[in-house]
Amino acid sequence: MTTTEFQDPQFGTILRFAMRARQANMFIVLVLALFVGLAFGAIMIIVTQPTLLTSWSHFFHHPGGTIASSFNTVWFAYEQLFQGAVVNFHALRMLIDDPSKANLGIVLGPLSATLTYATPLIVAGLGLAIGFRSSLFNIGGQGQVILGGVLALLVGFSFHMTPVLQVALEMLAAMAGGALLAGFAGVLKAYTGAHEVIVTMMSNYTMIAVLGYLLIQPLFARPGVLDGASKAVGVTGQLPYFFSRINSSLLLNFGFVIALVAVFGVQWFFDRSKTGFELLMVGQNPDAARVAGINSRRSIIICLAFAGCLLGLAGMLELTGVDHFVTPNFGGSYGFDAITVALLGRNKPWGVFFAAIFFGAMFSGGEAMQAFTPTNIQFSLADVIQAVVVFCVATPALLVEVFHLRGGARLVSNNNTGGWV
Amino acid sequence: MKLELRGITKRFGSLTANSNVSLVVNPGEIHCLLGENGAGKSTLMNILYGLITPDEGQILIDDEVVTIADPKDAVNHGIGMVHQHFMLIPVFSVADNVILGSEPVKPWPVIDYKAATTRLLELAKEYGFEIDDPNATVENLPIGAQQRVEILKALSHDASVLILDEPTAVLTPQETDAFMVILRSLKASGKSIIFITHKLREVLALADVITVMRLGEVVGVTTPAQTDERGLATMMVGRTVNFVVEKVPATPGDVVLEVRDLYVEDARGLTSVKNVSFEVRAGEILAVAGVQGNGQTELVEALTGMRHPSSGSIMLNDVNLAGQSVRHFLNAGVGHVPEDRQRYGLIPSLSISDNLVLDQLDDARFLRRFGRNLKAIKANGAKLRESFDIRSQSEEAPVGALSGGNQQKVVMARELSRELKILICSQPTRGLDVGSIEFMHRQIVDIRDSGVAVIIVSSELDEVVALGDRVAVLYDGEIQAIVPPTTSREEFGLLMAGAGAAKVTL
Repeated sequence: MTTTEFQDPQFGTILRFAMRARQANMFIVLVLALFVGLAFGAIMIIVTQPTLLTSWSHFFHHPGGTIASSFNTVWFAYEQLFQGAVVNFHALRMLIDDPSKANLGIVLGPLSATLTYATPLIVAGLGLAIGFRSSLFNIGGQGQVILGGVLALLVGFSFHMTPVLQVALEMLAAMAGGALLAGFAGVLKAYTGAHEVIVTMMSNYTMIAVLGYLLIQPLFARPGVLDGASKAVGVTGQLPYFFSRINSSLLLNFGFVIALVAVFGVQWFFDRSKTGFELLMVGQNPDAARVAGINSRRSIIICLAFAGCLLGLAGMLELTGVDHFVTPNFGGSYGFDAITVALLGRNKPWGVFFAAIFFGAMFSGGEAMQAFTPTNIQFSLADVIQAVVVFCVATPALLVEVFHLRGGARLVSNNNTGGWV
Repeated sequence: MKLELRGITKRFGSLTANSNVSLVVNPGEIHCLLGENGAGKSTLMNILYGLITPDEGQILIDDEVVTIADPKDAVNHGIGMVHQHFMLIPVFSVADNVILGSEPVKPWPVIDYKAATTRLLELAKEYGFEIDDPNATVENLPIGAQQRVEILKALSHDASVLILDEPTAVLTPQETDAFMVILRSLKASGKSIIFITHKLREVLALADVITVMRLGEVVGVTTPAQTDERGLATMMVGRTVNFVVEKVPATPGDVVLEVRDLYVEDARGLTSVKNVSFEVRAGEILAVAGVQGNGQTELVEALTGMRHPSSGSIMLNDVNLAGQSVRHFLNAGVGHVPEDRQRYGLIPSLSISDNLVLDQLDDARFLRRFGRNLKAIKANGAKLRESFDIRSQSEEAPVGALSGGNQQKVVMARELSRELKILICSQPTRGLDVGSIEFMHRQIVDIRDSGVAVIIVSSELDEVVALGDRVAVLYDGEIQAIVPPTTSREEFGLLMAGAGAAKVTL
């Protein structure tokens, strides 16, 4: 593949840089993965636009025109994707020209939306990464998110205390709930050998059913409404917005700080703490851990409980930071997206952090793209790009092969997906 | 088929793994490639098998230059390789494993299992292999039989040159004998064999030609008639090697470990240690001899807390540890050098420093108020790397990248850096080269002289005799006798075959 085949000048430059480097390292792999994802997305845009397809069928009559119109469509779509995810150029220019008139909500809105969507995903991804680094495959993210959300909700609408206290209590309830649910799977694995994948996966269905049941109970259901929504968390139990005083459309909440703390916490846990090191030992070589006197049962339970604790927290952040009430679909695909986030972030805390933000960006950018492109390019395109990027990062061997990267074997063998086998 | 390597050079960064190596293997010859770990034997063979591309040099088959770009080329040229770690699929049958990659089909895509089995049995018959059941699952076979399957697999591709990478490292003495018979029959049928090893005795018994490598270069080509063990060892290491372990007579102190009426069951629930009683005193080495699989593994597991005995007592300084956790044993001062260091002793992906504190995470030296004291752990790694001469780029290098001898040094260094009452070493020098063996033996004798009780479990009689102050011979889970190391080899042989039940010396 040469750079001339590609139409996007910016990525052409980056690619040339990458090709010159040709050293297989994680940064290059990420850039190339993004490039492949966008290139794939470009093809998808072209083949799904009837007008473009027609012009390609007359390619030999107007080759220049065909390429130009395809390029313009793709470029505009990606421009919208970027503006929807990071910053609105138009509003930014206005802000620079005349700061007094500018609308900060429009300038910073996309970034705020990206980070808001990313917040629970960061925490959930960290939770799953903990398991994966210890070779435990926790599939029960969804159930743990639901339980965390439900318990936080219970605290949220039952009390009206000092905000700090109530939020702390919600966090505690959510974390304890997630930890108990996942820890239970840990106990079963440690003492009976029940495989954690089965147990945690079943716990998802259980929690979905529990949620459905609770939502028709008078205690939880919103009075007088039959839409399946729950009561809402009281004002004192909601996570405060950072910038809502500046502009009411900036909805980034305090949960992002909690997520950052969690990133530092998990980083410390694996780098510095004794328990974290023990989990790593058990995950990498359970036999050697046993010889070294590590109690592997204890490690399995601690590991899953800690993972569940973070997933419960993710549920609480979603509930108290965004919607403030639950519906039967609460938690949605967080539990599973988080698996992908952990994989994309290679189970490293900061990797998970940026992977979740990438997911958040594709989400809010995808919405903007669908809304602002003239032919309404579907939101699913963002999913496609996201999927291709994840695919490329998960299989560095592919990129190493296609782009003939040097030192690729090392990168492939260092593929830190312990526990994915 | 005549095989020749001419002027092979391979560099990895600044390291020259092979420097201008030349080698000729004639038809029907057993050619031993001898050298310490890291001498470049495996690199050379991986080049021959197409796994590594050389920087310089040629490969000639029957005096014609050939290119071997990948293992497929090698196989097509009649080169077969049996790796040290078998490349078999454990859950497949013997026949399945042998035909894997060249399945007979009739009609496509149906595999003709009948033809496969017939072919397998023909091959086995041709070379005098014993295959009891071609449909047996490979994972249920003993190691020796698995190795025969590997060899058959290579032969089924019409290999005329077989590369065997340390084939005897995993075999019991009996299996080794059977293996040698196979090699001779292969030779008789005109196959050439390249045999990589560092066991000098086997080399002298088998080889037609011996090529000795050191630091990536060929340092000599000789034959068994021209040399002896001492001569080979000197060539390998580059200096005179001390075969006799130098040690002063033991000065045994108080009883440290007293084992009484110990019974231990193995994973299948069979009693594999029966009625074992012995004691070990401070400052002496008790060696446990015996053919592999006579209860040594379970005995060591019981003595280190890995497996709870079904009855009996393990008194360490008058405290019964039987039934306690591994952590209890470690805290009580039991040091453990496990028999399979890669599986039980180390975590390959972690650094040397981290591996040096695996069982000392609770040690106050390596903890701070919050969490592990990384600085102290690194300093400890640097110190032990220096004093145990662990060859690596730094103490932060992953342990998996080290050679076997250096890995064993890491395990030994870790155990010796704790406060020990007793050190239990299982197969402490398995798979190590002469230089590393000498080093390990020195360490073991030194720790004995410092007043620690030592138990050595080894299936190498030479090692048992060299190290032990007293030797317990284990047969079928029972101690046949505890005898002095000066006992004759014949008598040891009889005891190891179970002839000593009636007679108890000492």
